[in-house]
Amino acid sequence: MILMACIWAATARAQDDPDPRLVRAADEVALAYVVTGDAEVDRASEAGLRGLSQVLTQRTTIEPGAPLGIDLDRDDLSLLTFLYWPVTEAQPSPTPQAYVRLNHFLKSGGVILFDTRDGDIAGLGGPDGSAALQRLAAPLDIPQLAPIPADHVLTRSFYLLHDFPGRYQGREVWAEAPRAGAEAAEGVPFRNLNDGVSPVIIGGNSWAEAWAVDDNGLPIYSMGAGFEAEEGREMAYRFGVNLIMYVLTGNYKSDQVHVPALLERLRSEEVLR
Amino acid sequence: MTGLSFDPLLPWALVGAVAVLSTLVAVWSLWRGLRGWLWRGLAGLAAAAALSGPALQSGIRNALSDIVILLDDRSASQSLPGRAAQTDAALNGLTRQLSALPDTEIRRVTVGDDPDGTLLGTALTKALAAEPQTRIAGVIALTDGLAHDASQIPANAPAPVHVLLTGTPADWDRRLVIEEAPAYGLIGQPVTIRLRIEDQGAVPPEAASAPARLHVLLDGEESRVLDLPPGVPLDLPVVPEHAGQNVVSIGFDAPGGAVPELTDRNNSAALQIQGVHDRLRVLLISGEPHAGERTWRNLLKSDANVDLIHFTILRPPDKLDAVPVDEMSLIAFPTHELFMERIRDFDLIIFDRDRVRGILTPQYYDNIRRYVEEGGAVLVSAGPEMSSVESLNLSPMGAIIPGRPTGRVYDQPFLPQLTDQGRRHPVTAGLTGAPEPGRADHWGRWLRMSQVIPDPRAQVVMTGANDEPLLILNRVGKGRVALLTSDQVWLWGRGFEGGGPQLELLRRIAHWSMKEPELEEESLLADVSGEVVTITRRTMKPEAPPLRITHPDGKVETLDLAEAGPGRFSARWTAPGPGLYRMTDGEISRVLALGPAAPREFEETVASGTRLQPLVEATRGAVLHLSDGIPMLRTLREGRPAHGQGVSGDWIGITPRGAASVSGMTHRPLLPAWAWLALIAALALIGWLAEGRGWRRGA
Repeated sequence: MILMACIWAATARAQDDPDPRLVRAADEVALAYVVTGDAEVDRASEAGLRGLSQVLTQRTTIEPGAPLGIDLDRDDLSLLTFLYWPVTEAQPSPTPQAYVRLNHFLKSGGVILFDTRDGDIAGLGGPDGSAALQRLAAPLDIPQLAPIPADHVLTRSFYLLHDFPGRYQGREVWAEAPRAGAEAAEGVPFRNLNDGVSPVIIGGNSWAEAWAVDDNGLPIYSMGAGFEAEEGREMAYRFGVNLIMYVLTGNYKSDQVHVPALLERLRSEEVLR
Repeated sequence: MTGLSFDPLLPWALVGAVAVLSTLVAVWSLWRGLRGWLWRGLAGLAAAAALSGPALQSGIRNALSDIVILLDDRSASQSLPGRAAQTDAALNGLTRQLSALPDTEIRRVTVGDDPDGTLLGTALTKALAAEPQTRIAGVIALTDGLAHDASQIPANAPAPVHVLLTGTPADWDRRLVIEEAPAYGLIGQPVTIRLRIEDQGAVPPEAASAPARLHVLLDGEESRVLDLPPGVPLDLPVVPEHAGQNVVSIGFDAPGGAVPELTDRNNSAALQIQGVHDRLRVLLISGEPHAGERTWRNLLKSDANVDLIHFTILRPPDKLDAVPVDEMSLIAFPTHELFMERIRDFDLIIFDRDRVRGILTPQYYDNIRRYVEEGGAVLVSAGPEMSSVESLNLSPMGAIIPGRPTGRVYDQPFLPQLTDQGRRHPVTAGLTGAPEPGRADHWGRWLRMSQVIPDPRAQVVMTGANDEPLLILNRVGKGRVALLTSDQVWLWGRGFEGGGPQLELLRRIAHWSMKEPELEEESLLADVSGEVVTITRRTMKPEAPPLRITHPDGKVETLDLAEAGPGRFSARWTAPGPGLYRMTDGEISRVLALGPAAPREFEETVASGTRLQPLVEATRGAVLHLSDGIPMLRTLREGRPAHGQGVSGDWIGITPRGAASVSGMTHRPLLPAWAWLALIAALALIGWLAEGRGWRRGA
């Protein structure tokens, strides 16, 4: 018995301690990005998520730690919640083991934002617009997608938004298609989607570049000039805030329309009693 | 059974031809004026008759005995005082009288108890069908007449049916009638039981006017006493107080007086009302959006029986941005309504990484404390903020949180373990993947927790880093509080290092705090199937004392419980009969209602012949009371009234049927062949002599 306990204790100790960076990510809700191997893109991702983290910390209760880059072939994704994945042509496909981890990540509630960063090129975009995206995403268990409708909870998870701009604007962003028949359920003003959060969000607005700040907190990438640029950047941050709220709180905001009705029911039951 | 039969020697046509020929000859002889025409004709006919072979046929008869069916009712209602003795005495007397009758057989039929009551009609029908109809001379039933299968009583019988009723004319009884009782009720909401008191039989006048004193017990505890006059329906409101079985027992004191009622077994009834929760209302307060928040939402939203009201603090009061309010999708927290006005409407309040931010004022926290002490439930899932200056422990609610943070946060991977208490506690017992010595596969690790000093009265069921408490459960006043000192249960859901039973653990914690009976650590469960009761005692103590079971008649039985797993002791027990049993081991008690407390047999107890009257009348029998004496037996011809009054009292009649069986057949020729020859010869000779002169000369 003692021997068995010793063996067990030994095996328990032999278990590898998780990567401290990932532990920190789990503790601090750090935002993570996929390392593509393209130094310029990776720097933009890091700076972008850092910029978004600063905005979140300034304006909301979410106070993410420093962003971290993820090597899909090596890192355990189960400690992460959100993954920013910029799509580049040169990016090698992850290994099959990495896809197993990615699929588990998506199934257990993680969210990936695919950014094809080609929103400035007219006529492309969407989940099937980019050959590189198709190549990378094909092995993933992705549900049926549809352009995000105007009543999606992403449009109201913190700010009220009409579109989802990044460095580029006006392109459709795609997420899991609403289930058939889910529209106007229970007479709510917008769709009461199942609490499952869309596992992927796909667009080409090059968000990280819009969010990116340098060490001094100044924007790195140009977004036009003057007031318009500031306005565009602000809207990009608002999308970023809404996105992270959506990732962390799910359909919470969508449910809140029910709260007055629930409270009303409590009140009326009071009267009945 | 005697008759004439023919066995012709020649075909009937030839015999007929002989007869016709001889008749024609006789007619011709008459026309010719022959004097012997008659004799010649007769001779011819005699020859035809001889040819047809006439024979005498007769059966062999055996006289059969008469059958009298003697039925005695031994159902439970016949066990009332005096009735069994009456039945025995009548049975003996009648048997003696019947055995004295010649050629009379007795068929005894005994009717016992059936789950459906006394099946007297079925027994009668079966007994009548089993005997030859021609031999039944009479049916005598010794019963109280309370047949529960009136539709099965035969409409007629081939012989007189007599019913001899037990009991006395002075019998009377008062009983409790439950007219309507719901099987389910919402907890805390009254349900209505409709009942009345019914008097039957010869009610003494002093009792008829006296109301019955009704006692209503809820789970064995006296809850109401009220006086109810007989015949008045009463709507009794009862409030199921907990989930699971609420046993309501209703009974009244036996009425006093010179003539006591027949039985007190129908004076009480036990009803089981299954207490069910209305939709559970859960208030989830998330102090900040974090990776584990959706875990709570998934848990609570996957339960269709939960109304979730969720608030997440998306923006603390101390952070402001320049964005105009109408571009934001934020709503104000209806704090006053939630924490002051409506707080009692919630079954559970979950604080998920909440911290004191100035949104809730101290008086709200104080109200939450009061809410728990009055029976509410709070679950605190704490992140590192618990160890900070914004800890909920520093609010007035801190008094009920079952662990005091030391300020230290363990930032290291650790494996959640069950404590000894946790292995016994229903919240954590049997969780899949729990680490056990000698088992390599177990659930995954968590990465962060706060150090707390647990409340000495609380139960630590899980430990984490350095064996510090991870999950602490406590009862505060009438309510419950659970504290999870880590916010990383979501790692199990994510499958980190294989994950763990995260939804199951959280579901159990939530439902334990809402007092779901299946998750009570001290519980006494009785699972009834038929008469076998499986008793399970859950306890946090190392052993369970023997159970004392009080029977409906006051007898006390002791039952030992055997250990059936950590914290589980069980036994199988067979109840001796229906009724209300009380079980207790000194600490926890339970009322168990088995079967109907007043079985059908005791719904009515005053003997009555009305149900058998139509059959008795159809067969000209009699309904008599044994209290008037055992009637004399007479034999009568069929169709006569079968009862009357004699010098020595009533008499009842049976009708001997004189039935017989035919066991064989004899076949004798009417005349032997030589006699036929002599007859024909003699007739021919007479004819010849008549025509001859000798006759005339002689004359």
